[in-house]
Parts: sequence; C-alpha cells; structure tokens
Amino acid sequence: MIFEAPEKSIFLGQGVMVKVVTDSCSGITPELARKFGISVVPLYVQFGNEVYRDNVDLSTKQFYQKLEKSKITPTTSTPGPEVFAELFTTLAEETNEIVAIMFSQMLSGAYGAALQGKAMVTRDCRIEVIDSTLAISAQMLLVISAARMARSGANLDQIVDWVRKAIPRLHIQMTFDTLEYLRKGGRIGMAQAFLGSLLKVNPVLTLKEGLVFPVARLRNRPKAIDYLVKFVRSFSRIEAIAIEDVTTPEDLEILAERLKDLVPPGDFYRSKVDPVVGVHVGPRVLAACVLEAE
Amino acid sequence: MRTDSANGPALKKMFALGTAWLEKAAPDINAINVFPIPDGDTGTNMLLTMQSAMGEANQNPNRSACSVAKSMAAGALMGARGNSGVILSQFWRGLAKGLEGKRSFNGTDFAKALAEASQAAYEGLVNPVEGTILTVLKDAATAADMSARTDSASLLSIMETATEAARDSVARTPDLLPVLRESGVVDAGGQGLYVLLDGALYYLKGKAREIKYRKPRLVASNLPLAPKAAQMATEVEVPYGYCTNFVLEGKKLDPKKVKNKLKKKGQSLIVTGNDSLIRVHIHSFKPGEILDYATHLGTLHQIDVRNMDDQYVEFIKMQRERMPKVDIAIVAVASGDGFFEVFNSLGSTIIVPGGQTMNPSVRQLLQAIESAPSDNIILLPNNKNIIPTASQLESLTVKKVKVVPTRTIPQGIAALLVFNYDLSLEDNVRSMEETITTVKTVEVTKAVRKTQLNGLKIKKGQFIAILNDEELIAKGNNMTDLIFEALTKADIERAEMVTIYYGAETQATEAEEIAQEIRNRYQTEVEVVRGQQPHYNYIISLE
Repeated sequence: MIFEAPEKSIFLGQGVMVKVVTDSCSGITPELARKFGISVVPLYVQFGNEVYRDNVDLSTKQFYQKLEKSKITPTTSTPGPEVFAELFTTLAEETNEIVAIMFSQMLSGAYGAALQGKAMVTRDCRIEVIDSTLAISAQMLLVISAARMARSGANLDQIVDWVRKAIPRLHIQMTFDTLEYLRKGGRIGMAQAFLGSLLKVNPVLTLKEGLVFPVARLRNRPKAIDYLVKFVRSFSRIEAIAIEDVTTPEDLEILAERLKDLVPPGDFYRSKVDPVVGVHVGPRVLAACVLEAE
Repeated sequence: MRTDSANGPALKKMFALGTAWLEKAAPDINAINVFPIPDGDTGTNMLLTMQSAMGEANQNPNRSACSVAKSMAAGALMGARGNSGVILSQFWRGLAKGLEGKRSFNGTDFAKALAEASQAAYEGLVNPVEGTILTVLKDAATAADMSARTDSASLLSIMETATEAARDSVARTPDLLPVLRESGVVDAGGQGLYVLLDGALYYLKGKAREIKYRKPRLVASNLPLAPKAAQMATEVEVPYGYCTNFVLEGKKLDPKKVKNKLKKKGQSLIVTGNDSLIRVHIHSFKPGEILDYATHLGTLHQIDVRNMDDQYVEFIKMQRERMPKVDIAIVAVASGDGFFEVFNSLGSTIIVPGGQTMNPSVRQLLQAIESAPSDNIILLPNNKNIIPTASQLESLTVKKVKVVPTRTIPQGIAALLVFNYDLSLEDNVRSMEETITTVKTVEVTKAVRKTQLNGLKIKKGQFIAILNDEELIAKGNNMTDLIFEALTKADIERAEMVTIYYGAETQATEAEEIAQEIRNRYQTEVEVVRGQQPHYNYIISLE
C-alpha cells in the first residue's frame, strides 16, 4: 500500500461518510492527515535511481540534508493512475462517495493520473476529482475544510459545491530567496518577469489560475516577511490561516507570532513544504495562505 | 534494452515516442511561435510532419535502420507543413543520408547522421537565420560529434549529449534572434526539435511508460521579458500575405532552378525534394503567380494556401489568453549604463536617458510614452527637476499616464520593485507613492565651484553630500569620512538595507571598501551596484 492508512470511518446518521483524498503536494502533515481522516497519495522524489515517496520515505528535513550531500539533482514524478485506482477501490469498501482534491494540474500530472485512476474503478462508488488550481498550504486548507465537512455529515455534492466556491476565496503568497529552482524545474510561469534582476531581491509570488504569478519584490527577507504579514492582515474577514516553511522554522515562528491573533487557534495551521514541491521551490521559501470568509 | 545501438524497429520506436512527446508540447510550442511569422502553428506543423514520417515508417517492415530512415524522410517530405515542417523534413533527409547502408547504428553513426541532417537543413533554405531550429540542430550535431570523438560510441550517451546541447541551444535562441528577445520567447521550431530528441531519449533510457503522465518541460527564455511579449506583438500590424505550400510532381525536375525562380517571389522560401517530387513553402502576397509557374513544370498536389493575417489574429488571441494581462508599461528616466541595466532588469519598459543637468524634454518623454506598448503608463521621473515636465504629459496624450513623483533614482527603483502585475494602474501608483517615502537618498559629488550652502562654505573640488536631492548635509576632502558623516545624518541606524550605486568614474573596489565599513559599523545589509552614473561618485539608498 502506498498511501497513508485513513482512520476508521465514522458513521453519521443514515449516510456513510465521504472520503477525502489528496496528494502529498498539499503539504499536509501525516499528523493532520490522520487527525482529519484524509488519504494522501505521495508523489515521488528521485535521486538518480533512488525513489522516495514524498513525506513517507523522506521528510522535508531529510530531503534537504540529502540534497546538500548529493551530487545528483533530484527530480520528481507523479504516481500512475493505478495507484489512485487502488486507493479509490480500497476506500470504496467503506464508502460510496469520494472526493479527491488535487494539486494544480498546470504544475503536476497528479490530477490527470487521479482522473484516469477514477475511470479504472469498477466498484459502485461516486468519485469526484477536483483540480484545486492551488498548491501547498492553500490546497491543504481546502482539503482540511472538506474533511471537516465530511465529518459533520455533508454529502459529496455539498462538499464539491463548497470546494468549488471556496477556491476563489483562497489566497496565497510565497516569498523566495531565489527563483533558480522554479526556473530550473520549468514551473516559473509568469514569474520569469522577476528573473534577471541586477539587484538582490526577495520575490513574492502567488498562484493564479493554477500557475505561479509574480506579485512583488522586496529588498531583503525581513521586508518580504513584513509583506506576507501585511498581505494576510489586508483581509477583513478570515476563516482560516495556514503558514509554512521549508527549512526556516525560526522565520515561521516570527510569522506565526504576527498572525495568530487573527483567527482562533483551531483555524491556524502550520505546515511544511513537502520534498516534491521542495525540489521546485528550493529551501527558504516561506508561504502564508488565507481562506477568506464567505 | 540495448542502448548502444539501434536497428530499424528501434529507430521507429525512438521517434514514435518523440512524436508522442511532441504532441503533448504542440500547443505550448504554438504559443511561442513568433518567427518568421507569428502564426502560432509551429508545434502543429512539426507534429503533422512527424506523424506523416511515422506513418510511412510503420508501413515499412524492413528491419534495417537505413531503410526505415528513408521511409521517414519520404513521409516527412510528403507530410511537411509550414516552415518548421519543411525544415524537419530536410532534417530527416539528411539523417537518412547519414544512415545510408547501416542496418543498425551506434552513437558515432548517429552523430555523423546528425551532422548530415544539419547540413541538409541549412542547404534547404535560401536565407538561413541563426537563433532558430537550424542553430539548435547544428549545436546538437556539434555536441554529438565532439562526444563521439572523445567519450563513447553508445547511442544512449550520444543522444543524451545531443539532447542536452539542443536544450541549451534553445535557451540561447533569444540571444541570437532579436524578434525572440523582444517577445521574450525562445524559438518555437528549436523547442520542437528539442522535444522530439528528448522523447527519443526517453525511449533509449527505457522510460517510455513515464511520458504517459508527463508533459515535456519546455525550455524557458533566459531573458526576463516574457510579460511584455503580448503587448509588443499587438503593436505590429504588418500584413503577412499568404502561406503557400504545395507538392510538385513531374519528370526531370530541378529543385535548384525552382528555388532560384521563386526566390524573388516571397519570403521564407523553402524548396526541397528531388527530380520527381519537389515540396515548396513560401510566404507571398501573390500565391497565384507561384502556383501558375509551378503548373508549367508538372502536376500540383496538397495545395495549401492560408491567409497569414488570419493566422496572426488567431495567434495574438492565443498569446493574449496565455499571457498575464500586463497592460501597464513603465517609463523611467535614468542616466548611466549601469542604471539602464538595473531599470531594464527590473522590468522598466522604456528608459529615457536623462537626469541631473540633462533633463529630457517634453517631446522626448512623449515619444517614449507613445512608443510604449500599452495604453496605461507609469512614468518615473527619478529627479525632482524632471517632475514638472513629466506632470505635463498626462494632458498631452490620449494614453493614461500617471506620474509617480520620484525625486531620486533610488526612489524610482523602490517604486519599480513594488510594481504588482495583479493590481490596477491606480493601485500600483498608490503603493509606489507609499513606498518612495520610505527611501532616503544620499548623493555624493564634487563641488564644481566655490559656494556657500546651508551655512557651509564649500571649496571647489571638495566632496559634498546631498540628502534627498535637496539638503546639503556634509562636505569634506576625505570620501570615507564624508560618506559616514552623511549616512549618520541620514539616520542610517534605522535603515535595514543600504544600496551603494557607484558612478562612472568611481572604482568598484572603493565602493566595496565603504560597503564593508558600513557592515562593520551598523546592523544593516549592504549591496554594491554599478550605476555608472555621470556627475555623482555615489548614489546611496537607505531603506
């Protein structure tokens, strides 16, 4: 088995609980996944011939330790549709409704694989595969909210409807020390406008229609962190906040201190960029994400 | 799998995978197609050409590589579409020639065949242009040849080298071809060739299954200009005429003669083939004349005449859909080559030379605004004496011009840095105006004459420091002492980031020493940048 074992399903009322599936690029930690009963399909990180399952065989910390020592440039890949088909089939033993909320299909093939996997399932089970058009903590907030809805007894249609409407309310900004990793991985998109600066800058990027998009350039990291704080604080009605780092927990704490008063503790999430996304964004990325209230 | 060499069936499989890989990339390749005509069909044309090549190859049961390559060449020639398709068919013709007599081929043979292919591609064109698929092919062939001489004869290793060289070459195409640079894209045909080789390489690596769920990773331009592309393109409204393609069949045909005859009839002429079959591709305003000429030589087949202006309109639409809506252009005034580069690297669309003692005229600024590829302009005067001139422009043009009153170059740079592609003109101007108040500027220059300012007596030749382009804050004969006195008065204790731009007549080493001294004395980051400005030894920004 390749995925995280979900908790036992909880039966509510007459219906069976909807199962929530996502991929490891949501950056959802194993603890949070267990807590909310979310099945996470790991993508793969490859160092030459060594293949690791994202956040399963290799944590972000281990990944960067390895990266420092390794001469090989790591690459990433998505699991095949059969992996999704297998997971959906297993889950279908306990439920007849599944929602898979996937990493932006403009950035990864996981969504396509999940769709194909869905087509391979023979059991009688409704499966909805959604392209979140988002990534990392923005995707995670979506997934967690969906799982919470499932727990409180919402059916598949209600969850899918909510997710689709919530996507435009999710706002994310990420600051980078360098855009080299994004450039090398071919995922820089429109942020390539920020390449080639003759001044040292800390770019802030966002996601737009599933792609990386440039926002602003700051002269140093403290200013970039200020920018993220200002960004989050610019929303008057916030439902949830997620912040995440890659290799800089101290900066994550600075960010947390300056933002955590905005929402109840239960709606404030800390997470970590997973190794697969890490390959493409590089160390020292810091992100803040807001789920705006309806 | 054997990866040292390949026979006919292996050659088929290599390029069947290459073609599948190309198919996935075709829409993206279409979107970057700007040369020779931005008609947005390079990816499709290359794909159709390859599909025709593969169709012919699949009907050939012969196991010899030479025979399969010949079929592919024939199929490519018959199915070639568009400029890039015809060049691709030349590629196959050369490759087949290079594999002549080979039942199977190793890396060394492949390197030789690539060299033939490159030569054939150049020969097929009347005016070969560098920075296109031709250059990419040539670079791949050269790298393969070098590797075959020095490293190994294994097909996998040569293919790997050739593919890598092709990728690097694609990234360099904007350096060679200005139209690519202006549009901020790489050459589409070169990109297609790279994808094709990359797909073949996947086969040799035994990773054929992997491509099923992946998309080719396209090479990005190494120049940071992409978002301007759509805007630039919309400005050009040149008619392109008709893209004319046909196959001429006959007896004792002479491709050279046909080529010479058609040379003056249009652009992007490609004539390929032999004495019984010739394929012609040409861009012309009078396709009738060309077809008329050809009917005298033999029978015409696969006639395809398309209006490129229609294609161009389609292409622009496609570009618009793919590009972010960057409909704000930034016009900045600056002096010094270093500052030109800095402003350019940060995304300023047009830079008007000017500054202290050489203020640009209203006419110069107006010209810059009119030529900027957008109707929404942010103007950064970057000097307090230019602000009044700049402010007049808002009423002199139909374009919407907003002046952000930047009094100094560091203010202009700070404004440029906060530019947000996602915000409106008004919101951008607001955030720029907010930002410039947080920047302090210290300018250091030499007094040109004896004078008295702010109660300070200044001798000719003494250094003076000016804060925010208005207040004389220090004077002295020693540069380092003067700078530290000025920085103290400018409240450096509160700055998080100090940038030192050194002038045309100032040594980089002196600037570095001052930077190091600032780092020693204060808790601040310091960056040294070449400004090459006239007049000022240093322009220092404190943020």
